[in-house]
Amino acid sequence: MQRRSFLKGLCAASAAAAVGPVLLSAKEEANAAPQGPNALSYAMAVEAITSGKAVTESTKIDLIVPEIAENGAVVPVKVNVDHPMEENNYVKAIHVLAKENGNSRCADVMLTPLNGKGYFATRVKLAKTQEVVALVELSDGSFLSAGKSVKVTIGGCG
Amino acid sequence: MAAEKRRSMIKMKPKKYKVGDTISVDFIIIHPMDTGMQKDKKTGNIKPAKYLDNVTFLLDGKPFTTMKVWETVSTNPYFSVNLKVPGEGEITVEYTDNTGEKGSKSAKLKPKG
Repeated sequence: MQRRSFLKGLCAASAAAAVGPVLLSAKEEANAAPQGPNALSYAMAVEAITSGKAVTESTKIDLIVPEIAENGAVVPVKVNVDHPMEENNYVKAIHVLAKENGNSRCADVMLTPLNGKGYFATRVKLAKTQEVVALVELSDGSFLSAGKSVKVTIGGCG
Repeated sequence: MAAEKRRSMIKMKPKKYKVGDTISVDFIIIHPMDTGMQKDKKTGNIKPAKYLDNVTFLLDGKPFTTMKVWETVSTNPYFSVNLKVPGEGEITVEYTDNTGEKGSKSAKLKPKG
């Protein structure tokens, strides 16, 4: 065997050995990745909403969720935003996201100054213990967020 | 329109309010909100997805809140938003689901005093 071909072979083999585990782990990730028609991870959902803009954590948002939810299928979520609702300065949207759900988006609510207050309440399903995040968009284009973790005893997504 | 008529309800809280008050408007609807991942316990087949995707709150035909909703919202959903009462009028909530089912529900807005 020539030295050149031997080295080439060695290179290819080591490359394959290096790539092998990566491919395997990628496959495992694909298996573990959320499934379903609308599956979307939390990071991608935030990216889609903010289109890359910075999100600041804020104490102006009052996110009310139970600390422990016995039934993950019905978890009440309340979002109160302490912000004026005037003609040119109002809460434009409230997005409710659940970080670990297959589809992390729950509801996108577009508000107008007619609402009088930045408030939204609903009930959501949570698959497991995770953080619920309220992402608020103001009319000037800035984003605020607040998150709280909820302990789920029985998952709600069958 | 679906053959079966869905039961839905609009509630205003508090019951007595004046012009200029901020009240909460709740919309409750009987809807399965199937995720498309659950199995039917009787037949063992996977139930197709059926969930609300758009809900719009209108005041006299003008939308004041529009929502995009996903299957992660609970069965028999409940949505609550606030409204600053501008005067007498009619609140309508229109909804569509992912299978194309449509519907609406109306309630009168009657401020006193």
